[in-house]
Amino acid sequence: MMKKIILLTALSISALFAQVKSSVEVPYIPFEIKMGKGFSTVQADCLMCHSFGYIINQGPQSRKFWRGKVNKMIEEFKAPIDKKDAKIIENYLFENYGNGKEQ
Amino acid sequence: MKRRDFFKTSIAASAAVLGSTSLAAGETHQPNETRKVSKYAFPEKRPLITYSDRPPLLETPLSVFTEEFTPNDQFFVRWHLPDIPTYIDPDTYTIHINGFVKKELKISIADLKRDFEQVEVNAVVQCGGNSRSAFTPIPGGIQWGSGAMGCARWKGVRLKDILDKAGLLEGAKWIGFNGREKAAYYKTPNFVRELELDELDDHVIVAYEMNGEDLPYLNGYPLRLVLPGYYSDSWVKMLSNITVTDKYKSLFFMDKAYRVPDNECECETPENKAKKTKPITIMNVKSVIGYPENGAKIYHNSQVVVRGVAWDGGYGIHKVLISIDDGKTWEEATLKEDMGRYAYRAFLFGFKPKKYGKLNIMAKAVNSLGEEQPLSKDIGWNRGGYKYNGIQVVNVEVV
Repeated sequence: MMKKIILLTALSISALFAQVKSSVEVPYIPFEIKMGKGFSTVQADCLMCHSFGYIINQGPQSRKFWRGKVNKMIEEFKAPIDKKDAKIIENYLFENYGNGKEQ
Repeated sequence: MKRRDFFKTSIAASAAVLGSTSLAAGETHQPNETRKVSKYAFPEKRPLITYSDRPPLLETPLSVFTEEFTPNDQFFVRWHLPDIPTYIDPDTYTIHINGFVKKELKISIADLKRDFEQVEVNAVVQCGGNSRSAFTPIPGGIQWGSGAMGCARWKGVRLKDILDKAGLLEGAKWIGFNGREKAAYYKTPNFVRELELDELDDHVIVAYEMNGEDLPYLNGYPLRLVLPGYYSDSWVKMLSNITVTDKYKSLFFMDKAYRVPDNECECETPENKAKKTKPITIMNVKSVIGYPENGAKIYHNSQVVVRGVAWDGGYGIHKVLISIDDGKTWEEATLKEDMGRYAYRAFLFGFKPKKYGKLNIMAKAVNSLGEEQPLSKDIGWNRGGYKYNGIQVVNVEVV
């Protein structure tokens, strides 16, 4: 019985310190994003910082909402997206994840 | 006051009330708890509700919240920036303490475990945006259900002891915390949190252990800040720098994110946003039901035991009330052992369903200050979708 307890303790200690001894790999999740006009720009500009999960998760939204999001990425998070691309992304988001309302 | 004046004011007051309700396109309801766990498991985790892989955003299913402590492999995950080191060498990892201190320090994990008193605290960590999906119109941000939270036994070293070792210089007032997560672009603001030194007490620790194991990688291995009672935005993960300053530094994640309207209801309308905001800081009183789940079928006249957890910002849970008649009457649930004022208080409530058909089970927590959870519909909207703490309603069917 004693032997068993010692063995268990030894096992649990090694398990405790063995968790992240080598590099971890975060899985890639293929979020199902809609294809549409401007998608390649979205892919190039948005995916640098975050997965498509962030987009899909917002649900259908107004053009104003999506424009605000794109602006936030540029102004607050300093994403290097020029005005032309910003408009393309806004249009893509509204066309594919819009609720039909401008405001 | 003359009678006429009284009428004048009351008309003005009711107009204001009407005005605010008609303006309130904002409306609050039960959060979206219908999402299922993903088929993909992240490192050291079981499959969880998955919003993003980069940065990783994982939510714990509600059914887990029937016990005081949340298992590490089901504990929620929320990072802000996409670039997280995928390898940490615990033998060479150090945290750097600098700024307004007498002696700059570089402390390794071995130093922490050897040179300081080792302490433990049981505490809930909850995202400020937990349950955000309860708000309409949708505030920007991840549309969490109510599982962006967990409770663990944290082990580590008091922040105060670390600061004492470095020695604070006169005028030291603010303390900034930075972790190892990095943005894709150099110019993106780092996820740095600042706290006023006065806010810190002995319960604030730098933790290396969670529920008796090393911190899971995705929960901030090897060190994270533990701030009992506070929303998780300040619980910096993969903690690398502690910087003491005399002045508040203006930072995006402090000045723009994680803030609520600075008024009594902490609310506003989408059309008429509050001008002044304040940081979310201390958690309000809240509870969730882990069992049964929405849509469950329970047997007529069977012994059903409702289980869940309740918590607040550290005042402690006084009681949890359960209603099975849509809020007409409330009965006290049994509270399980008190694991400390910052921890979940597990509760259970047994009853026999006497009527066939649809049944709503509601839980309302009351803390030691007498603060209780409001109904969802009575919670005002805020632009960030923060601090939702509505009474949960679980719809089941008695068959």
